[in-house]
Amino acid sequence: MSRKDLGLMAIFGAPAVIFVLSLIGLVGALVADGVQDLFYSALLGSTVAATVWALIRRRR
Amino acid sequence: MKTRTIRAWSWTHKWSSLVSTLFLLMLCVTGLPLVFTHEIEEVLLEQAWVPANPDGPLLSLDAVLAAGLALHPGEVPAFMSFDEDRPVVNVTSVDPNGPAGAYSFEPIDQTSGSVAPPVAGHPVMEFLLQLHTDLFLGLPGMLFLGLMGLMLVAAVVSGIVLYAPFMRRLPFGTVRASKPARTRWLDYHNLLGVVTAAWVLVVGTTGVVNTLATPILAYWKSTALKELTAAYDTPAPTGERASLDAAVERAKQALPGMKLQFVAFPGTDYSTDHHYAVFFHGGTPLTTHLLTPALIDARTGELAAVAPTPWYVKALSLSKPLHFGDYGGIWLKILWAVLDVATIVILVSGLYLWLAKGRRRRQ
Repeated sequence: MSRKDLGLMAIFGAPAVIFVLSLIGLVGALVADGVQDLFYSALLGSTVAATVWALIRRRR
Repeated sequence: MKTRTIRAWSWTHKWSSLVSTLFLLMLCVTGLPLVFTHEIEEVLLEQAWVPANPDGPLLSLDAVLAAGLALHPGEVPAFMSFDEDRPVVNVTSVDPNGPAGAYSFEPIDQTSGSVAPPVAGHPVMEFLLQLHTDLFLGLPGMLFLGLMGLMLVAAVVSGIVLYAPFMRRLPFGTVRASKPARTRWLDYHNLLGVVTAAWVLVVGTTGVVNTLATPILAYWKSTALKELTAAYDTPAPTGERASLDAAVERAKQALPGMKLQFVAFPGTDYSTDHHYAVFFHGGTPLTTHLLTPALIDARTGELAAVAPTPWYVKALSLSKPLHFGDYGGIWLKILWAVLDVATIVILVSGLYLWLAKGRRRRQ
């Protein structure tokens, strides 16, 4: 393979964003109530969204 | 990364996973229905019920306690808790000479003193919870599962490190679906593993903290609550205890504005041998998980102390919702279930990848 190796940023960029969003969601839902719970759950839902996106768009 | 470094992380990932996979699978499979305990029990235990005297006066807590204990002669009171949406007080008692943890649980109608239908504690859910908590082995089982939780944390951390060499030529999320099964499943394993990492780490570490509940509470009692018990040599005998009703009223005065959650009787994990520990929780989403006990001398009925819990008991309290996922509404629970299933896929694909690698080597 002639393609150059990806850097750490390229490898861990997206996973790091999902990691941080998940943590904010997990902790946020603990201090929030009602509608805000939905918002924080959605942040944790970034895990599922990223997986579905990858399975559709990055399948080859 | 140097080959030697990769090999060390590989070794860590392989062995931390192999040692714990079977137990983690059990935890994921039993954990899946447990996420929905409340919803499942609502269906399984649904029963139309109205209190005997809906508008009548409520019995005193002492009378309720006596009614509950009368159903289990020879047992001593352990806990008393309060239903939120019906006038029912739950009396938990225990045989002082029986096996540890073998509790009797009676929901008592506070308007009549007769037994009310249970709204929690369905035998199937209790079975799953016990298996999930300690494999029916008590404290050793809990601590063992805690060790498996630490293995999980090691597997996730080493997995994240190994993600780099595996993905150095693949953009995020690549799934080589047209390649042989081993490649395909490696991609699924890496993708699911890396996106669920934060959730698995939080559920894993809070699970480990929960397995330490017994030593944490024992430490709290032997340090922070120790001064309170210095005046007495022998446990407060059941026959010489002050009114429970008065004790709870006294505790309420000491913690105005907080909500009564449960009473721990003398001699239980949550109290000393000499006090009614009356536990309250706060009113905000966060403080509803944080408990503050008022300790009432069981002999005299005097307030002994309001004992705000130290950080490690607070950490234990917050570990429960963060592990069970029951703190943010139904959508959070559904996510908990989806991520639990994703974890099962990660565990099984990891096992498969290890087996497939071994087979290829032997060929």
